[in-house]
Amino acid sequence: MKKVILTFFAIAIFVAALSGCSAKPGELVVYSARNESFVLPLTTAFEQQTGIKVRLLTGNEALVNKLGEEKNNVQADIFFSNDAGAMEFLRLQGLLQANKSPAVAAIDPLYRSDDGSWVGLSARTRVLIYNTDLISEENMPKSLWELTDPKWEGQFMITRGGNGSMVAHVAALRVAWGDERTTEWLTKVRANAGVIVSGHTDIRRAVGSGEYKFGLVNNYYYHLQLAEDKDNNVGAIYPDQGADGMGAFVNAAGVALIKGAPNSSNAKKFVDFLLQPEQQRMFAFNNKEVPLVPGVETVSEAKRIDEYKVMSVRLQDIGAVWADVKALIEAAGLDWDLSK
Amino acid sequence: MPRTVSAYWLKLWRGNPPGIFLALLSLVVGCAMFIPVLYVFVRGLQGGTASWMRLMDTRIPILLQRSLGLALVVTVLGVVIGVAAAWLVVRTDLPGKRAWQWLLALPMVIPPYIGAITYIIIFGPRGWLHNLPGAHLFSIYSFGGVALVLTTFTYPYVYLICSASLKRMSRSYEEAAQAAGFSRGAVALRVVLPMLRPAIGAGALLIALYVLSDFGAISILRYNTFTTAIYYQMGSFDHKAASILSVILVLISLTLIWLETKTRQGQKFYVTKGGLARGAEIPLGICKWPSFIFIFMLFAVSVLLPLGVLGYWSYTGIVRGALDQRFFGFALNSLSTAGIASILSMTFALPVVYLKLRHPSIVSYSLDKMAYAGYALPGVVVALGLVFVFSNYLPFLYGSMAMLIISYVVRFLPQNMQAVEASLNLVSPRIEEAGRSLGLPPWQTLFKITLPVVAPGILAGGAFVFVSALKELPATLLLRPPGLDTLAVRVWIEAGEGFYHAAAPAALIIILISILPLKWMLSKY
Repeated sequence: MKKVILTFFAIAIFVAALSGCSAKPGELVVYSARNESFVLPLTTAFEQQTGIKVRLLTGNEALVNKLGEEKNNVQADIFFSNDAGAMEFLRLQGLLQANKSPAVAAIDPLYRSDDGSWVGLSARTRVLIYNTDLISEENMPKSLWELTDPKWEGQFMITRGGNGSMVAHVAALRVAWGDERTTEWLTKVRANAGVIVSGHTDIRRAVGSGEYKFGLVNNYYYHLQLAEDKDNNVGAIYPDQGADGMGAFVNAAGVALIKGAPNSSNAKKFVDFLLQPEQQRMFAFNNKEVPLVPGVETVSEAKRIDEYKVMSVRLQDIGAVWADVKALIEAAGLDWDLSK
Repeated sequence: MPRTVSAYWLKLWRGNPPGIFLALLSLVVGCAMFIPVLYVFVRGLQGGTASWMRLMDTRIPILLQRSLGLALVVTVLGVVIGVAAAWLVVRTDLPGKRAWQWLLALPMVIPPYIGAITYIIIFGPRGWLHNLPGAHLFSIYSFGGVALVLTTFTYPYVYLICSASLKRMSRSYEEAAQAAGFSRGAVALRVVLPMLRPAIGAGALLIALYVLSDFGAISILRYNTFTTAIYYQMGSFDHKAASILSVILVLISLTLIWLETKTRQGQKFYVTKGGLARGAEIPLGICKWPSFIFIFMLFAVSVLLPLGVLGYWSYTGIVRGALDQRFFGFALNSLSTAGIASILSMTFALPVVYLKLRHPSIVSYSLDKMAYAGYALPGVVVALGLVFVFSNYLPFLYGSMAMLIISYVVRFLPQNMQAVEASLNLVSPRIEEAGRSLGLPPWQTLFKITLPVVAPGILAGGAFVFVSALKELPATLLLRPPGLDTLAVRVWIEAGEGFYHAAAPAALIIILISILPLKWMLSKY
């Protein structure tokens, strides 16, 4: 036994020595708030094409705070975000670096910052995914405000307010409704929701299996659930489409270039790489999102953005109020209330 | 003046001062263990009245209710199950009692967050039993679910300590009571149980402290306690709120430890020598097979079910190619971080323990106690302290593997110290004195005489640290550098996305490696 353990430690020392000696130059450090399964195929392809080693840290929108905290000791090169608001917030804080790449300039100015420091890669629309075996399209709530109705108590799922897509969405609602009404919505929805989870994957699976009738997700989670082998009897409602409805909220996921990045040139390479048509197709077909580079095909179930009414909020405007919105969410207690 | 200083120095060490090198080394280790926790405390107290009030109004009452409620329920259940199992296995004619003795200790090696995942796979809303009629009546994502899972994987604390105690307990008191006309049940309740009191107290304290510090199982089951709240506050870099919540959690833990020692005072039982002759096994009679079924069910839910689930999903995963190059990279990360942590703790445990045992004084005693700070406290609190220390004073090490490894050492060094203390206690100081009287300088005495004798203890302690670091979740999640995911982190990420086939092989490896030092753990009790 003693021998086994001694050998074991000898191996451990050896391994540790090896990993400690790894060379640093050809690296790229990516902080990602996105689901790992969406990002990993892209970073792997980048590693294979360029030989640059990608060190990926998968987290959530709290990485925005981590980036701020590390301002004087920058660790990350790239921030992969679910939400344009968070990226613009970082830019306003002076944490991003401008990028003059022509590939970035080719993107619709609606979905990038003027200085190119962040750029949207794919669009996502906030929809209500529902289980078609449990509820019919007619009976589904048609607007987000209806989620406050006590008749839905315990029947639907939402993500925590800490989720990036949720923060931006609440920010957009706040523009439409103002502080008071938004707080009322947050408080009532929090009380009404059957469960509050940290990610959207949980929601699409639970709604697909009939655990809950419906849930608030980004549209590609609906596309992903449709493509499952089972539990795929799901539909989606694009909310607030009525004549006087405010429209559905469209956000962009994207990447931001960090100021003072240790591997700045690799980071720019990575941004250009992501905007190539091949990678954009990966967004469209692996992740079932709607790519932002013009002319890239999408999966057939994805509604085109001109097929439905969209909220008139500019994504850049969310950046300025991002911190206020987070405070609002915290005050309503939706930031980490995981359990009922 | 120099005379008074040296006189004071001598007095401080009760006439037996250590070498300056040993004293300094122990001082550095003891303080390094203590500073992160101290930092959290200071930051928490500096949090400002407004922040305290805001948290007091909104979060603290409900968190108190949840943390304490969960700790209470799990402890009570764990004590009932642990004591019953220990009594059946040690005292009665339960069929297969020899095998049960160690089989019932096995849940110790299953980290509760892994146990929780397997329970979700079975009992969860999309689990294996989800089509069973009535399955919807019980939700695993509830207080009951969390309590059930935590009890299942923590009862061995009480079970192990109580069965060790029962084995040592003299039978003469029981025989006397029986001769005085007490029924068998009355003997168990009025003689055995009171004598088990210290063992039950020690085991219950371990369970309660564990429940207060658990992060993985509780958050996977979507529950919220102080620990998860601190984790989320840290996640959003609200260090002030995280520190305030930490201070309260630390105070609760310390109160528990204090209460336990307090109630133990004045309740001492001495076992007279010579009365230890093995008595006859108590015949269970008609209860024999029901008892067997109880023990078997306990084993089934705490070992067979989780391992079966993990085995099934590991097989599915391996068929789908889960053991790829990335997987081995994660395994390597786990082995190297845990390996270095255990080497460091083997190095640092001896000086502190040596100082305490060979040069007893208020200084060595305090250093020893300080080194235990990280052990008694939840991983999230240790992680918070390290973030403060590193970003303020050691920015060049911030975000490196070193920070992660140090968090393991801070959390688990005391495990190594316990093992070293046990074996150093067996070495008489006389032997060392003999070495020195033959002209060896102190450091040579240490290397030539003491070290060879305590080496097994140091290694055993190192193995404990290795296994604990391998399983560690909360501090790893918060402190890991980009690209350095460990197996435990992978289990967490993959299971969180519902990719059980990817989570299971990593979980199974963690459990299999953890079985290695179980032998020592069992012989310890």
